[in-house]
Amino acid sequence: MFSFQPDRSEYPQPGLDGKLEIDLETGKYLKLWHGPNHPGITGNMSVELTVCGDEVVEGKTHVGYLHRGFEKLMERRTFIQVFPIVCRVCVPEPDFNEYCYAAAVEELAGIEVPELATWMRTLILEMGRFNSYMMFLGGIGGALGLGITGQWMTYVRDLMLDRFEELTGARIYHMFILPGGVRGHLPEGFAARMEEVLQTAETYLADVDKVMFANSVFQLRTKGIGVIEPALFEPYGVTGPNARAGGVAKDVRKDSPYLVYDQLDFEVATGMDSDIFTRAKVRRADIQTSIDLIRQILKKMPKDGPVMAKLPNVLHWKIPRGETYIKGECSRGEYGYYLVTDGSGYPRRINVRGPSYTHAMALLEHLIPGTNISDVAALMVSLHTYPPEIER
Amino acid sequence: MSLREVLTPFSVWKRVLDAPVSIADPFSREASEHYRGFHKNDMETCIGCGTCEAICQNGAIDMVPVEGQNTEKGDSGLRPMIDYGRCCWCALCVDICMTGSLTMSNEYTWVDSDPDAFRFIPGLNEPWKDKQAGYKRENGRVLSGTTRSPMGELHANERIDNFNEICVGYTREEAILEADRCVECGLCVATCPAHMSIPDYIAAVRDQDYDRGLQLLYETNPFSEVCGRICTHKCETSCAAVHEGDAIAIRWLKRHIVDNVPLERRVELIGAPKPATGKSVAIIGAGPGGLTAAYDLAREGVKVTVYEALPKPGGMMRYGIPEYRLPYDALDRDIAVIEAMGVTIKCATVVGVDVQMEDLRQSHDAVILAIGLQMGRGTRIPGSEGAGVERAVDLLRRITAGDPTVPVPETAVVIGGGNVAFDIARSMARLQKIKYGRVGLTLTALEDRAHFLADKEELVEGDEEGVLILDSRGPQEVMRDPSGQVTGLRTWAVTSIFDAEGRFAPAYDESDEQIHQGALVIEAIGQMADTSLLGDALTEKLEWNRGRIKIDSEMRTSEPWLFAAGDAVKGPDVINAVADGHRAARTVMEAIAQGEVVQ
Amino acid sequence: MSEANKERLLGKTTVREIFEVATEFERVAHRFYSELVPKVSKDLRWLVEELAEEEAEHIRIFTELAQNPAVEAVLAEEITRPVADPKFSDCVQTPDLGPNPDDQAVLQYALMRETAAMEQYTELAKTAPAGPLRDAFLFLAKEETEHKAELEKTYYEVVHSGGV
Repeated sequence: MFSFQPDRSEYPQPGLDGKLEIDLETGKYLKLWHGPNHPGITGNMSVELTVCGDEVVEGKTHVGYLHRGFEKLMERRTFIQVFPIVCRVCVPEPDFNEYCYAAAVEELAGIEVPELATWMRTLILEMGRFNSYMMFLGGIGGALGLGITGQWMTYVRDLMLDRFEELTGARIYHMFILPGGVRGHLPEGFAARMEEVLQTAETYLADVDKVMFANSVFQLRTKGIGVIEPALFEPYGVTGPNARAGGVAKDVRKDSPYLVYDQLDFEVATGMDSDIFTRAKVRRADIQTSIDLIRQILKKMPKDGPVMAKLPNVLHWKIPRGETYIKGECSRGEYGYYLVTDGSGYPRRINVRGPSYTHAMALLEHLIPGTNISDVAALMVSLHTYPPEIER
Repeated sequence: MSLREVLTPFSVWKRVLDAPVSIADPFSREASEHYRGFHKNDMETCIGCGTCEAICQNGAIDMVPVEGQNTEKGDSGLRPMIDYGRCCWCALCVDICMTGSLTMSNEYTWVDSDPDAFRFIPGLNEPWKDKQAGYKRENGRVLSGTTRSPMGELHANERIDNFNEICVGYTREEAILEADRCVECGLCVATCPAHMSIPDYIAAVRDQDYDRGLQLLYETNPFSEVCGRICTHKCETSCAAVHEGDAIAIRWLKRHIVDNVPLERRVELIGAPKPATGKSVAIIGAGPGGLTAAYDLAREGVKVTVYEALPKPGGMMRYGIPEYRLPYDALDRDIAVIEAMGVTIKCATVVGVDVQMEDLRQSHDAVILAIGLQMGRGTRIPGSEGAGVERAVDLLRRITAGDPTVPVPETAVVIGGGNVAFDIARSMARLQKIKYGRVGLTLTALEDRAHFLADKEELVEGDEEGVLILDSRGPQEVMRDPSGQVTGLRTWAVTSIFDAEGRFAPAYDESDEQIHQGALVIEAIGQMADTSLLGDALTEKLEWNRGRIKIDSEMRTSEPWLFAAGDAVKGPDVINAVADGHRAARTVMEAIAQGEVVQ
Repeated sequence: MSEANKERLLGKTTVREIFEVATEFERVAHRFYSELVPKVSKDLRWLVEELAEEEAEHIRIFTELAQNPAVEAVLAEEITRPVADPKFSDCVQTPDLGPNPDDQAVLQYALMRETAAMEQYTELAKTAPAGPLRDAFLFLAKEETEHKAELEKTYYEVVHSGGV
């Protein structure tokens, strides 16, 4: 019978000689349940820590608090009915799901999306990335007791949510990127109001630079801590800012451009130290990239045109047999949808590839031993994990 | 660690002076213009088609009866009830809505101590009912097709000098595209007199399963080849798609199915009738009503003999409808299937002459009367008596029969604006084209163009073929020269046809008088049944209802052995006659089973 | 030129004459329809019977009026002859619809007759001396208008059979 290696049902793990390396009976160790609700993560996820003094000797990740079975639910829904579900896979950055699903369906169904719609989609994705980073900055501050960052970023994020609201009709689950295009055009005067938000954001971010990045306490608690050896990137599937902070300039937007990224001018931010600080720094630079991209898009996008392709009747939409993998660079790294169709009116299989799965479950267990209890939260935040996307 | 890194964070103390950004009272915050908030439904525009219910991915919508909303043609009378415990505000229901009645307001706060309040029927009395702001579908109805696949047709030039069928039928690709647009609401099923399983056979077209499609057709209509061509398709007027786009071409899709199943295969798919019961039924009239009853009864193992006065079966389908609309071989195939069920059709046998009603009564378990409306009505205006004035149905019958004495003058005038008027006008136009090389036909009707009783395509095609269509003209006199030859028709302009209560009361503008030249005037204003075959005694014995044989809802006359169906009792329409035929057959079967019918 | 003809040319007549013609008008029609009932085949009988019943009711009204002293008192009065009078008077003749009239012929005759009656009574309702006679004409004008409308509806149903 197939068995998982290592067998995660046994914990702590026995050594090679069959003896327990960490023998709880000795009284030397203490078990500490970190989660499911704690400042280290946006959502619910636990780490079962074994500590010796204030040093963590082992950590086992526990997920499942947010399992809703979306991938299975999708197999029981028509192609159009999947559309309202996908955004819920990842709460803080829902738009990537909408884009990946729509693009996958369009590819298999042979639908060409109008040009304006691809610009709108890019805009939405960058707005979503911006908001996702707002949560990150708030989270990393919060994990280290710097509550003010969280308050400011929540405010700035809210301003961006106002833009989402007027553009898409909703604040959190936008349900705007429909297979075939997007649901509407930019409202009148949108660009000007967006510029206001971006300028406000820039003043707050300048203050975040002062209060957090230039803060000696922050630096002391993040530099040199939680280092991911670049050698781990490949085996652990590390992507996005986590990899870029280790000197690997990987970015799907550059490496295999999708939507209109090949028509936009931007640099991929990287760092060398691969520690918590560098990862935060890379993300800070990414925020600026997003702000620039939003400005560029609003300037360069066509002013008018259709935003929806002609769809077949969605009530009995059947898509020919096929499979595809659509990927993009979300704020945490490579995000992808694997879609298999069998010629019926329902997806045969949808598999979501979210970076949080690899980063927060496998990689975290590797990084945790040897850290200080008080650094665990910051370490977790620095991997930028969204539990709903782990569990789907 | 430098001193700078210790001090810099304190520089943001200036933010202490910022005003708070939190909204103190979230209830007063207006959502954006296009916010997807609580639902609204315009009860008058909503047709209860249920596409909102069908698309909802979480089963949040139920179609329920609502007081004050009645079931009527094209409206199920049901309205959506939304469960806000399940709704996710994706607005797909708004996007798919066939009429645009379902929308969303930008209202988003609702407090209630009763959890059931959140299962509500929008459009009744919600506080945001009249709120204008809220989500609207910017791109129109994009989730199902709005434009009909065009039907290939012969060009006017190609068809005016012959009687070839005009419509060529859908190709598979066209049919699939058209079938794709159907949202399967079923409003059409309720409207169709025969209640054909329209969404199901359209689905069969989508699935390219013509065998299944044909079986579905024969469940409710043995004249699908005929109806696929010339049905009055009332179903299409109640189609949900008609509100924002073209109705689904239900009739053409029906024809497409039959076109794709060869005759032998049809008989095979339907299967053999039930074993003989030893009962026998006589049917008078081999039109759609009589033959449908014959088909149903034969399927039940009854021995059926159909008596037809004319040389060939089909009734008005053969002798009324011109060949360019319904080719005879299409009709023959439908009738062949019926005959394959064991039905005997005795043509050129006139009841009342060759065989008497009383004989039929004696030798059968029941008699069904399906005689149709074979006699044309005349206007009886001055000059309308005598040679040079004909009735449309008589002429059509003679044209079908190939009568060489059919008068074809260079100019002719038709009175009437219904399908029969167009049938004779366009037939006569063809004969004129063949004989003289040009069309000289004027059609006058009381109605204005927007209210013609004929199908819209008749007007379009009539125009194309060079028929001069004059609307709002009331006939006053058939003009004759001193020798008595017809020279034309004198008409007045019609100012109104119906009075304020909708009653027929034509009013004329006598100052607007015209004379339309024509050596022949053809009256196509109405038809009546020829009930003389009943004989005086039976006529006297039967109960009548305002000139028609009185029947109950199950097609029984006042005589227990006699049943009546079709145009003669219900008015002219093939699909109505088919529906009647089914009902008559069912009643006869029940009556036979109960031994009611006295031999 | 007789006195009566001169009167006619002057457009004047007496209430008595009008009253008598109207009574005769209804009586002739009732007799015509009643005699027609057994002659037509059963499928037409409903129509003729309905028409006969309506006329019988009108005869009853005139009979009652003739016995009313208030009517008697005004019979000698002069009254303007209605415009529709010639057409109306023509209808006093028993029509010839042939030996075996069909529904359309009966309907067309009835329609013509109702139209004449409607016009005649409508005008008389305006000019007749106030009292029971004018009330009767008012009532009859309304009745005939309704009958005409109903007949037109029947005509459309019977003759145009939905118009297909």
